[in-house]
Amino acid sequence: MALSVGFGLAFLIVPLAIVMPLAFNGGSYLSYPLEGLSLRWFGAVLHNPPWLAAIANSFRVALGATALALVVGGLAAIGTMASRRLTAIVLWALFVSPLAVPSIVMAVALYFAFARLGLNGTYLSLVIAHALLGAPLVFVSVLNSLRGLPPELEQAAASLGASRWMRFRTVILPLTLPGFLTGAIFAFVMSFDEVVIALFLVSPETQTLPIALFAALRDRLEPTLVVVALSLTLLSGLLIFALARLRRSAAPLGKDQ
Amino acid sequence: MSGAAGRLDIVGIDKHYGAFHALRDVSLSIGRGEFVTLLGPSGSGKTTLLRILAGFETVTGGQVLLDGRDITSLIPERRDFGLVFQGYALFPHMTVFDNVAYPLRVRRVPRAEIARRVGELLDLVQLSGLAGRRPAALSGGQQQRVALARALVFRPEVLLLDEPMSALDKKLRGDLQQELRDIHRVLGTTFVNVTHDQEEAMHMSDRIAIMNRGVIEQFGTPAALYRRPASRFVADFLGKSNILEGVLEAGAGGPCFRGGGLAFPVPGAGRSHGPVELMIRPEDAALGPAAATGGDVEFTARVCESTYSGDRTLYTLAAPGLDRFLVYSRAGGGAAQDIGATVTVSFPIRECAVIGASSPV
Repeated sequence: MALSVGFGLAFLIVPLAIVMPLAFNGGSYLSYPLEGLSLRWFGAVLHNPPWLAAIANSFRVALGATALALVVGGLAAIGTMASRRLTAIVLWALFVSPLAVPSIVMAVALYFAFARLGLNGTYLSLVIAHALLGAPLVFVSVLNSLRGLPPELEQAAASLGASRWMRFRTVILPLTLPGFLTGAIFAFVMSFDEVVIALFLVSPETQTLPIALFAALRDRLEPTLVVVALSLTLLSGLLIFALARLRRSAAPLGKDQ
Repeated sequence: MSGAAGRLDIVGIDKHYGAFHALRDVSLSIGRGEFVTLLGPSGSGKTTLLRILAGFETVTGGQVLLDGRDITSLIPERRDFGLVFQGYALFPHMTVFDNVAYPLRVRRVPRAEIARRVGELLDLVQLSGLAGRRPAALSGGQQQRVALARALVFRPEVLLLDEPMSALDKKLRGDLQQELRDIHRVLGTTFVNVTHDQEEAMHMSDRIAIMNRGVIEQFGTPAALYRRPASRFVADFLGKSNILEGVLEAGAGGPCFRGGGLAFPVPGAGRSHGPVELMIRPEDAALGPAAATGGDVEFTARVCESTYSGDRTLYTLAAPGLDRFLVYSRAGGGAAQDIGATVTVSFPIRECAVIGASSPV
């Protein structure tokens, strides 16, 4: 048991543990031994306009994609809940299908579709493409929390005179908020880390962080690369931590009922 | 703070679920301010009928009228009916105050009036001190009261109750039954209650509709149902009963009953021939000869079983032609009878009811 856990951890962590300290390298090569510890490469990233632009682009695209995914995935989940059982199964399969399509296929398809619309290289194309991948994630997590909600609560609100929108705003949304937040975090992280589709759709102006990283990797091997990678990892880790907290805070709510 | 009261007319309601016929041509008129209970075993259609009244189920045929207005296809939020759910369905993320205030906020009632009316209702259900609590921090009985206050605060014309007591223990149930009656008296709102608990139905209702397999077997006051059941089902379902199966024959002084090894005149039977079922309640029969008990009919029987409950003993007897005859005997008077003993039983004819007849014998 301890051995298998240890092996698993080693397998997952060791490569990171080896690479990450290079971010603090005093020298300018991506190699051991470190030439003294320093934060100079963090400074280099923060004073390098192309890196900053890529970071801003990534946030812009990820936030836009998350918002769009929340609306589309949330509505899809609510609609699926309101459908009969057989219809709901079919809808479920349709709404999660973007997750099953290989991203390279999706990327090529979107590339040609957006080319025809003249959208290639725009923020909008990236936002739509990433929302397409994020919506199923929102859909699944919102649907799960809706399923955990006793149907009498909405009926009670209806019997008390609340319209459909009022019921959603005052009863359903507050009680399924953990589901929406979970979906939002998944969608955000997905967009922030996404490479394949972005590779097809970005222009130099809309280059996202993973693409910038990819490009930098080809051009010159500098510790700035590792600094950016480390920051990406930390951000993802932070969001996953938030997810775990969400899950814990959502649990007692389900028990009340 | 008396409320308005609506008159409900249920006219020829039919409800199919696929091949299952849940309600068959159900008609029922519930008067203004009446407390009516739909009583029946599970699967009898009582909950389906309540959900149709609430607007959560569509009908296959028939109409629901409120004060003469057709509301059959009105959506629930437009009906303005209070509804207390079986599991209370309190909003877990809101305090007691916010739960009760909810229907008023939905109706955009001014803030000051909301505070006043919620306070009034919380007083009525004796929860004034708990306004700031969350439902999870309340006992079952308290949650039930919050649900009641929430369903009444907007002064509905009709209050629907879906097995409101089923999650409570017996002692608490008794207290809440009394309270519910008091609230009904104070407000004068029309109450429609659903339960499978015959005692609860008898204690609280002005009239009871007994349902079985999608039809209303009988609709009437608790006393009418108990004393003059319209069907064998009603006689069996409400309390304990002895059913004597036999035939009516013309006799010297009017119709005569013959069956179960007994023969006696039933002057009020209304007809003098054909098969008949007579019901006699165990508390109307007595151990002892007719001359001593004030009865008219007597027979001897063997004691098969006795159940002692402090104030009285229930004897299960058997006689030739009668598999089972139940008699209550007051404890204190007379010695207890041993199982296997032979006893004399008697009952007065005037306490017999012809099942299906509208008047007593």
